[in-house]
Amino acid sequence: MRRIWIAAAVLLLAGCGVEPSGVTDGGPAPTGVAPGPTLYFVDGGELRATVRDTGRLGTIAEALSLLLSGPGDADLDTEIAPTAFAKVEVTVTGQEVELRVPLSTEEVTPLGIDQIVCTALAAHVQNGGSTEATVRLRFTLEEPGSRDPRTCPLL
Amino acid sequence: MTRFPLRGLRARMIVAFALATMIGAGAASWAGAESASDALVESHQRQLTRTLAEQIAAIAPTLTYPPDQAVLDRLRAAVGPDTTVSFEDLRSSDGADRATAELRGAVRERDRIATQRITADGRPLLLIGAPVMTTAPDGSRTPSGIEVYAARDLGEVEARIDDLAATAIGTAALALPVAGVIALLAAGGVLRPVRELRDTAQRLADGDLDARTPPQGADELAQLTATVNEMAGSLQASMAAMRRMQSDARRFAADVSHELRTPLTTLTAVAEVLADAADRMEETDARESARLAVTEIHRMVRLAEDLMEVSRFDAGTVRPRLEEIDAAEAVRDTLRARGWLDRVELTGPDGIALRAERRRLDVIVANLVGNALRHGAPPVRVRVREAGPEVRIEVADAGPGLPDHVLPHVFDRFYKADDARARTPGSGLGLAIALENARLHGGGLTAGNGDDGGARFVLRLPKEAP
Amino acid sequence: MAAILLIEDDPLVRRGLQLALGRHGHEVEAAATGEDGVAAFDAAPPQLVVLDLMLPGIDGFTVCRRIRARGTVPIIMLTARGDDFDIVGGLEAGADDYIVKPVQPTVLDARIRAVLRRGGTGPDGVREFRGLRVDTVSLTVSLDGAPVALTATELRLLLTLSGSPGRVFSRRQLLEAVWEHDYLGDSRLVDNCVQRLRAKIETDGADPVYVQTVRGFGYRFGPV
Repeated sequence: MRRIWIAAAVLLLAGCGVEPSGVTDGGPAPTGVAPGPTLYFVDGGELRATVRDTGRLGTIAEALSLLLSGPGDADLDTEIAPTAFAKVEVTVTGQEVELRVPLSTEEVTPLGIDQIVCTALAAHVQNGGSTEATVRLRFTLEEPGSRDPRTCPLL
Repeated sequence: MTRFPLRGLRARMIVAFALATMIGAGAASWAGAESASDALVESHQRQLTRTLAEQIAAIAPTLTYPPDQAVLDRLRAAVGPDTTVSFEDLRSSDGADRATAELRGAVRERDRIATQRITADGRPLLLIGAPVMTTAPDGSRTPSGIEVYAARDLGEVEARIDDLAATAIGTAALALPVAGVIALLAAGGVLRPVRELRDTAQRLADGDLDARTPPQGADELAQLTATVNEMAGSLQASMAAMRRMQSDARRFAADVSHELRTPLTTLTAVAEVLADAADRMEETDARESARLAVTEIHRMVRLAEDLMEVSRFDAGTVRPRLEEIDAAEAVRDTLRARGWLDRVELTGPDGIALRAERRRLDVIVANLVGNALRHGAPPVRVRVREAGPEVRIEVADAGPGLPDHVLPHVFDRFYKADDARARTPGSGLGLAIALENARLHGGGLTAGNGDDGGARFVLRLPKEAP
Repeated sequence: MAAILLIEDDPLVRRGLQLALGRHGHEVEAAATGEDGVAAFDAAPPQLVVLDLMLPGIDGFTVCRRIRARGTVPIIMLTARGDDFDIVGGLEAGADDYIVKPVQPTVLDARIRAVLRRGGTGPDGVREFRGLRVDTVSLTVSLDGAPVALTATELRLLLTLSGSPGRVFSRRQLLEAVWEHDYLGDSRLVDNCVQRLRAKIETDGADPVYVQTVRGFGYRFGPV
């Protein structure tokens, strides 16, 4: 009989409140800090990644703005026509990053498109996005197939 | 169990059953509450962790890297109170840094968010440790060196868990009356056969040997029931055998005494002739023999009569023929008829009415007084008095009284106190018949010794015999 | 002294009683069966019959009734048992008295004499009560002029009661006066005899005029 009482008491006490616990996993760590965004320019006809030292990673749009504004004084080329309005609209939907670039298809070479896609994906990944993501480009003047999902050949 | 005043099997069963039900219901609702509260804590923790991760992720791209103190402060402010942000030697703290070494170790080792629940100042806290990572464009991650440690209050969750527990207790408590009722019914079901068996045993003890309990099922109780039935059966059989033997013996005694009557009638008839003739006999041996024969005939007649009387009592066919008589006068008649009036002191008022059979009262009184005169010493006193609804007739003598070893046997048939008395004129049935006669009237007869040491018999007769 | 018919089946008992009663001066005729007894009775009517109830052939009760049908001869029955059944049955069959075996000859003799003893009445002669006429000299009774045949016991009972009209006699007093029993006499003798007497002299047995019951005490004659 006494044992039953004790068992009941133990059972009652055991369930009370929130008890301390050991260390448990809380999921993936946040990310997003970096000395600067990675921009892709062309060097001798090939894509090349450079880190623009802005002191912070910034957003995809910011990285693309920097890309559109050209390689600056660095010894690199870009195959994207210069544009006065270097603002890109970025919409991330799941695994897809949609970019509205202020350019027509004619103002960008295929390599130039890769520059945009790779820079956007790099910023997306560095901001914690998925490495499997694809990019859909929306030009001011589109061509058939210009909206197809694209991936970066380097990544 | 001895500590509790629960002696009855029924009470114990009910308590045990109710307790078991209570514990069962309690355990069930408690387990429910437990898993619910686990889920609650879990989801709350996940939410807090995700919020923190989102807050950090939201601000991280805007942070200058490597950060200076101002950057750390900004990050800390973005995450909220009770947060410590560190980067190498720099740290920004708001409130106490409660992060345990264990948590820090896990954060650095795994490069993932780690959580731990602790209790501080009596309150439950969730510690979240989050390393801020730097991700390369190819997705590979490296720790940036920035670590965020935040403490989040779980008090609100605890309150909700307490609510759940209270509900569980309430549910279990609600089960109590239900459990009680079920226990009552179940105990009744289990105890009914026990009660039936007890009733049967009681009836057996009271002499109803036909009592049986039909065994039900095949449990220990059924076996016990079968055993009790068996026992009752063999008891009944041996009782029947004993009764048969007893009644055979009684019938034999009745038959013997009855058969003796016919020759005794002849003997009695001729005894007188013989007695007259004996007086005129010349030869002394023949004369003495004839006298002995006459004496013994009278004794045999008396013995046969007493035996028949006893047989009638045994057969249970005796009914008293009651009439209204005056107790003292009836006693006086008995004494007078036997010529004892001058040898016995009779005290007692006339006018004590008694319903009894005159002849049987005479038999009793004559026997008691006769015994006193024969075995006791004078004076023999007979006292008649009224005692409530009874009449008491007390016969006492001044002799040595009845020895202790004799007292329990004085009313036994053919009991002789000692061999020296073996050849007394009595049949050895006198007191047994006297007792039977007293009982026939719904009264009693007791033997004892008076204060002065003499034997004292007290006859009690109800004034209104049943 | 008296001519007695003894009906008893056991030869030794019969002979023993014959011897004993003979010594008391009685002339005893003995019969072994009921049939023989009734035949002997018819051949030579005795003054009194001593009848054993346990008889082979026709039993004592039947014999008792047959003898009673022939007249008012007193009958004393012998019973081997003290059983109430025998006693009551014998009295209802018309016996005047009963004795339980084994019987002392002196006791039997006393009963015989008591039954035979008659009268004891004064010289007053005739008592008349409405239609009932009791002649204490000739010892005859008539009701409304018709003679009534009473047994000796019935007659003695009537004489005793009518000797003191209105006086209450207890059963015990009647037993001593009529049957000459001692104080332990059987009161059923009285009750039974009263019933027989009423049957003979009362017009309505349920509402007797002459022999009246005083509940709890006994009987009384009248008041007429």
